[in-house]
Amino acid sequence: MITNILFGVGVAFFGFVLQTSIAGVNRKVVGRVQKRYGPKWYQEFLDIFKLLSKRSVTHGWIFDFGVIMALGGIIGTAMFMPITSDLVAFADFDNFFIFVYLIAVGMLGMAMSASGSGNPLASIGVMRALTTMLAYEVPFMIVVLTIIKLTGTSSVTGIAEFQQLASNNWFMIALPLGGIVGVMSLMGMIGKKPFETYIAPAEIASGPMVEYGGKQLGMLFIMHEITVFIEVSLFVHLFLGGAENVVLFIVKYFLVYTTLNIISSVYGRFKIDQVVLFFYKWPILMAISQAFVAIYLGWVI
Amino acid sequence: MASIELIIVFTALAGVLSYFVGRLNKVAGSVVTILASMFVFVSVAYFGYNNELIHSTEFLPYVTFSVTYLGLFFAILVTFIFAMVSFFNPFFVEKYKYPALYSMLYLLSLAGVLGVFFTNNFMSLFFFFEFVVWTSLFLIPMGRSKRAASSYYAFSTVGSFALLFAIFIMREASGTFNIVSSMASVNGTEAAIVSALLAVAAFAKLGAFPLNVWLPRVLGNSPDAISAVFSGGLEKLGAFVAVLALVKLAPFGYVVDATGLAASQYVIAALGALTIVFGTLMAIRQDDAKKLLAYSSMSNGGYILVALTIASSASVSGGLYHVVAHALASTAAFLAIGAVSRITGTTKMSELGGMIHKMPVTYLVYLIAIISMAGIPPMGGFISKWLIFQAVIDKGMILVAVAVFFGSIGSFLYVFRPLAALFLGQELPQHREVSKEAPFFMLVPMVILSGLIIYTGVLPNFFLGFINNVLTEVGVTPLVIGSYTVTGTNGVLQPALIASVFGVGVLIAFIIFIVLKKSRKVGLMDTYTAGNFIYTEELMHYSLDFYAPLERLYEKYINITKDFYKRLENKVVDLGRLMKYYFFTNKPEIMVLWIIIIMGIILWGDIL
Amino acid sequence: MLSTKFTKLSKEEVDRKWWEIGDFFRRNSLWMLMYCTGCCAIELPPAMTSAYDMERLGMGPMATPRQADVLLVTGYLSLKTLRRLIYTYEQMSEPKYVVGIGSCTINGGIYHDSHAVINQLNRYVPVDVYVAGCMPNTEAVMNGFVDLMGLIKTKKANGWKDYHARNEWYMANQKAALGEVKVHDEFHE
Repeated sequence: MITNILFGVGVAFFGFVLQTSIAGVNRKVVGRVQKRYGPKWYQEFLDIFKLLSKRSVTHGWIFDFGVIMALGGIIGTAMFMPITSDLVAFADFDNFFIFVYLIAVGMLGMAMSASGSGNPLASIGVMRALTTMLAYEVPFMIVVLTIIKLTGTSSVTGIAEFQQLASNNWFMIALPLGGIVGVMSLMGMIGKKPFETYIAPAEIASGPMVEYGGKQLGMLFIMHEITVFIEVSLFVHLFLGGAENVVLFIVKYFLVYTTLNIISSVYGRFKIDQVVLFFYKWPILMAISQAFVAIYLGWVI
Repeated sequence: MASIELIIVFTALAGVLSYFVGRLNKVAGSVVTILASMFVFVSVAYFGYNNELIHSTEFLPYVTFSVTYLGLFFAILVTFIFAMVSFFNPFFVEKYKYPALYSMLYLLSLAGVLGVFFTNNFMSLFFFFEFVVWTSLFLIPMGRSKRAASSYYAFSTVGSFALLFAIFIMREASGTFNIVSSMASVNGTEAAIVSALLAVAAFAKLGAFPLNVWLPRVLGNSPDAISAVFSGGLEKLGAFVAVLALVKLAPFGYVVDATGLAASQYVIAALGALTIVFGTLMAIRQDDAKKLLAYSSMSNGGYILVALTIASSASVSGGLYHVVAHALASTAAFLAIGAVSRITGTTKMSELGGMIHKMPVTYLVYLIAIISMAGIPPMGGFISKWLIFQAVIDKGMILVAVAVFFGSIGSFLYVFRPLAALFLGQELPQHREVSKEAPFFMLVPMVILSGLIIYTGVLPNFFLGFINNVLTEVGVTPLVIGSYTVTGTNGVLQPALIASVFGVGVLIAFIIFIVLKKSRKVGLMDTYTAGNFIYTEELMHYSLDFYAPLERLYEKYINITKDFYKRLENKVVDLGRLMKYYFFTNKPEIMVLWIIIIMGIILWGDIL
Repeated sequence: MLSTKFTKLSKEEVDRKWWEIGDFFRRNSLWMLMYCTGCCAIELPPAMTSAYDMERLGMGPMATPRQADVLLVTGYLSLKTLRRLIYTYEQMSEPKYVVGIGSCTINGGIYHDSHAVINQLNRYVPVDVYVAGCMPNTEAVMNGFVDLMGLIKTKKANGWKDYHARNEWYMANQKAALGEVKVHDEFHE
């Protein structure tokens, strides 16, 4: 049990290091897209440790408690995440719904802390974040419903192993419409443009993060990196057949994240109601039709 | 050993006693309610759990009792809710016009509820059902609105008539009022009609679409304690009837091959899904915290219906577990809001802010309650929602799943709103001086409820084991549970592991937090304002129209059901006027003529 | 010959070492809050975008004073904006640095005789680096940032400590120029 938990902490740490490095590399990629040189690849680490070294302000106990709950919840979620089919801290218990709902503890903690700062811009940011969540989560869950119905298991490693069987395609290919919905929802989940309405630095001064500085902001950055790790690796496992070994996992992870980043770097930002209308128009229609086709007609490529 | 009859008689007598004590001293009368309901809870739970309840009757005529796991499950839950809420009574009686009557009705409705759950006779079930309606009916107008009570009565009547018709049909088929044998004897078309009628009764009691109008009115306008009782206790009568209608009676209609579900199941699930979506959308746009929780109760009732109608082992146990989880969470949330309302005198979120600084315990209670309501681990709501999701996915009900997922994510939105607007944010000056933490005896039930919410989320197996007994009794395969694990249709869950992993995560985060430099404390008004000097708290508190951009997308369509019932009401009034115009005119000879004609029609063929 | 004996470091010594490590991170990741009051602000877009690409130094713009490390004051400061500048400066988390860009922040520049503009910024808030010129070209601005990094490395960027140490003096100057820093009038209450 203790070894499992230590292994889980190791997974969370691995996720943090991996995502922070890849995010740094991606800042360079985006820099190149914009014809710039871009920062060092380890710039994200420098930013986070700098924030942790500063002396910040606090707006009362809920402001700190929320940050701790946010980071704790996300670390806890990451501990369940499988890396390959064998490298998983708690085998058989890596249920898909744990990732969707335990991640929400982290989100709730952050939202609580942000509202506790007393800044209206933070509350507006939280409102937008929750509304965006309402938009992207439902189509994604419908696609995952299809996947779980087809594979008969809701364990993430189980789904990955199902795709690794010789007779089955990756769900990205087997469920093409669902795959597209997955990509769009993932963009919303990790807050990439055009769905980064809740950050909007020029409009609501970086939304929920408006009052944070120093260690609280640093912890939220760590939380954000681990969240992105959870969401992108969930996508890798659900749609891209998981990974047989760690190298393959990192390659797939890198490709997914970089692709999303490149797509995001050429988009502007939606308004919040446009986000909701967008997701409740095409993605949900695609997700529902994909589910009907796959479950009731049995047409799976 | 305890006799059910004695418990019920005791409760009713204690109610009468509390009336007379309450005439002498308001608070003393309500203390009687605490003692009596605590006693009832303890005796029902203890003797019921040990199978020591005696069901013979000596005093009450025509009433027979029996102890079923189903009845016991609901009885323990609802008496617990009554016992917990009764702690609030002494603090609120001052506000009521008839405090002694309040105490009496509180205990009488408890007695009625016990009767409903323990009787084995449909006629006495109906009697107790009506008894609960009539006693609770007069509790509602002690709050803010009298209209709420009439609306409650109207919708309850629909449910009661449906129940009565169902009872008569079963009596016709079986010749007995006994619940078990009369339900077993109906089949074919009769069973379908009975099932549909019972479902109507369940819908009316649960406040499910399309019989949903009364629920938000009643919960939003009743006295604070009564809202908690309704949401956690009395609404669950609907779930009880729903189990009878949906699980005990077989579904009917065309069976879809791919999923093995009958048409009736699809219809009920669709109505449940609509309940979820309507409840969620309406809850998002409320300004009154109680109304918001009321709509959330409606949406959770939809979950219970969806779960019970699928009638697989995961879904029924999920549905019954959701009854427990939602009863605990929503009672705790209503009590927390009630505590705020007692101190500030309002539950409008736009008039409140920053209550956390004076009421930290109440805040934590509310926080734990909403985490459970939103279905986030490690609280009880997660377990039930997980089981319901499993069942919905397993049956491949796509459109219902859209509603279920929508309601689940939507619940993050609405439960967060009171948290942000009422407890967090700027501390408004008008409440800064008067606010203080709620009295100790109000905190006691809230803390107990919070503890149970966490317990149901971390170690659900005790309750699930009890629910398995109920499942066996109603003829559903029991759920597979290990000592710490719960096995659903397509996955295994270990709630204790989730909780401990979450604990480890929080510990790590706490260590990171504590080793770093200590922060400088600043006031709430010292926030980023783009360099502007602002001194007014209201301007810095974002609470009105919280989800305005989202609300704008659907605000045109919110009044559809309300308008429908308004039009129906107008039509009924028109019909009444028409009748009055033709029949009850001021010329007696016309009236006599009509009476003779009608008598003639009725007696045609028999005598004439 | 070096001694291999383990000597326990004193608390000051440990703090100093931690501080130096912190300084490494801080100078490689400077987040700016741009207080663009005057014409010098036009030099910042080329510095940030592909022409000079400030991000390769680890610098970037930030939205609020809580998150930022460097306060950029680009150009003249009228009395009205000075109040906001001081309020913003006090909201930043420590350690914090100030860079004054353009002659106006040094001696008033072409507005030196205006009644509504202050002449010398470092009488009101401590300035770590000045970039002279009216207006300075972009290379000079970038050079100013590199200078600031050098100052952090050599522990000379101590303006924020000075603001604590000589707080009365700064306060007195602010009071002399503004009366009271905070505004109390019908628009703000």
